[in-house]
Amino acid sequence: MSAADETPDMERHQNSVMRTPLNSVAVQRRSKNKSYRLSYRNRIGAASRLGLTPGLTARRLNTSRKAPKSNKITVTTEQLTLLVKTEWKLSYVTPLYRFRHTQLKIYSRQLSAFIAAEKQQGLAVDVEGTQNTFRVSFSLVLGMTESVDDAVTVHIQIHSKPLFAKQDEPQKPVWSGWLTCINGNPEYLRSLPKDFICLPLFCSSGAGGLTSLVKSWFQQSFDCCFGPLEISHTSLQWLMALWTNCQSESSIRQLKMIWTLPVEPQLQVTYTVDAEDAWELWSSVRKKNTAGEGEENSIDIEEVMSFMQGLKAHFFRHFRLDLSAGSLNEVSTALGSAKHSGMIKFSNSKYMITTLMLLTECALLKMPI
Amino acid sequence: MDESKKRLVQRLMRKIPTKMLKTTLEKWGRLTGEQQRAMDSIQSKWALTENLLAICEENELAVKHLTELEMIYMIDNPDQGMWYAFQLTDPGDDAQSVDLTQFKEQFKSHLRELVREVSIKIKKHTDEAVWIRIAWGDASSHPDHLKPTYVVHYLQTPYVFVTRLTSKQKPMLSQAMVLSTRYQYFKDANLSGRNLTAIRDLLMRKYQQVFPTKYPSPLTERKQTVTNPHVEREQAKPAANRLQMACEAFGGGTLPQLQSAVYKLETKFRDHTNTLMTEREEPFRCVVKFSSTNLLESLKNCASSGIASTPVTPLLSSIPLKGKNYFVITDNGPGPSSQMRQTQN
Repeated sequence: MSAADETPDMERHQNSVMRTPLNSVAVQRRSKNKSYRLSYRNRIGAASRLGLTPGLTARRLNTSRKAPKSNKITVTTEQLTLLVKTEWKLSYVTPLYRFRHTQLKIYSRQLSAFIAAEKQQGLAVDVEGTQNTFRVSFSLVLGMTESVDDAVTVHIQIHSKPLFAKQDEPQKPVWSGWLTCINGNPEYLRSLPKDFICLPLFCSSGAGGLTSLVKSWFQQSFDCCFGPLEISHTSLQWLMALWTNCQSESSIRQLKMIWTLPVEPQLQVTYTVDAEDAWELWSSVRKKNTAGEGEENSIDIEEVMSFMQGLKAHFFRHFRLDLSAGSLNEVSTALGSAKHSGMIKFSNSKYMITTLMLLTECALLKMPI
Repeated sequence: MDESKKRLVQRLMRKIPTKMLKTTLEKWGRLTGEQQRAMDSIQSKWALTENLLAICEENELAVKHLTELEMIYMIDNPDQGMWYAFQLTDPGDDAQSVDLTQFKEQFKSHLRELVREVSIKIKKHTDEAVWIRIAWGDASSHPDHLKPTYVVHYLQTPYVFVTRLTSKQKPMLSQAMVLSTRYQYFKDANLSGRNLTAIRDLLMRKYQQVFPTKYPSPLTERKQTVTNPHVEREQAKPAANRLQMACEAFGGGTLPQLQSAVYKLETKFRDHTNTLMTEREEPFRCVVKFSSTNLLESLKNCASSGIASTPVTPLLSSIPLKGKNYFVITDNGPGPSSQMRQTQN
């Protein structure tokens, strides 16, 4: 949906309204120099750093998560197509100061003006140098939330005309990105002052130059900061397990892992397991489900580790080569692919939410103190 | 000049790097001294192409002359694209006596019987290899000189190396090869790579092998910062052992440059900690692909550094030992030639 007709929908999303007051009172900033960049560990960890409440373990990745369920998403198919089947580069973003979901139209104008100005400065190559070569549109992705505390996802698209295009040629999308928060730690989200919106996960796809322009506009406008988000070894293993767990409902076609081993010259091992066999191995390491009828089916980190251990052991039995000596760089199934370098692709929208929950958690953890 | 000839010249000039053009043209020997000097003085690729087109016109050079130029360049620079190894099996009584002239004649006539529109060029290279260039056509089209198949065969050996062969053309090449070499079968050798010399050396066992008895002390003195002599002595022996075993498995010296090896595993899942899977009847299906810029070197380093346990598993040492890089592994053989039996545990 576009920025223009968002207000009625905003009403339904009470939470977002609460976080983006329509007629906000200007907040007095205490000092010009003080930054409002707030981090997860800052707030969550402050107490434990002082040694007051050692009980908080939120600084580590969750050790248990819900099994993926399909058909949870209520996003329109039109918007979903914008998110799936594209490989996204991941970044984390600190909470946005005074970002309003109701002012997307203004942001669209501001960002396109910003890009035009920056391009004219000669920071990037633009022969024409004319204004309005880039058209920016901000929009809301409604329905893509997991908990009431999650702020509404924001999608940004930049259209442009090719350099030597004809007059009547339509503008083409050259860059897209989105900011999201799926099932962010409620304790942390609630602890934020009311003028902050937390959308910690930033996915971008398109020319790198535009990515950095968008980032610097956000930094200037909302006093936030960006950083690269890599997908850790543990997160990759989580994704393997979460995706394999879907096999009974939707075929994962195959489970593929790419490892690199630190020898000279570097050795790459691509280990591809048949979908059905991967699922059987996964089921064999699953603990007896103690949850009663109707309760959430949860997955434990121990199960994820046993699954990986099983795969490694089978490999070792044949090649007597220890994969633990190397690093897992990439995992992929028919549901999606993830790379250690911080690239993610959702190939099936049904199970997107689960993946995004994990990534949101990673992004929150990655924020600087 | 007709369009196909022009395109062939353009294609050739695009392929041959400028710095190699001079020697390639000299080997070709179709240019007069003056023409050669004129070519040498030109810098731009475009101008060189235009000039060569003019020379072709002037010297009345035909497509067959141009294919000759292509072959000269290809023989000198064979590492372009994937090469696949094939092996001829079940030789007839007269297989050992086939000579070059006989082979040339027979191969051409057999292939022409199978495909009417085909252009074949055969050239013997210095290292006993016979190079064959085949441009395929069909009932409705002339031979396509832009997509030729290259075949390298060592006379009196069962080895054949092929690049750019489509599955449609394979049966025809197979039949022509079998008939003209007096063998019964033309089989996939399950070995492929980008480096022709490497896969040839592997298949024909031409690389430097290391045998347990012959190998001198592999330890080389290395000046290191102050270390504990006890620890060093303690570690030196296993390290030397690992290196020795790594060399025995993969060879010493410079190893043939192979890019990948693929194992299709259809073996049972056995893990004493997982009874559920171990008791399962069906095999655990997976495919493992190893890749590197020099696979054997990488694997050797894995073994010598301890990432791979020694002695090296037969699965990995089979790459140089059997001259293969595609394997199907099952629990109980015997199966087709490419299969291996899993004997561990």
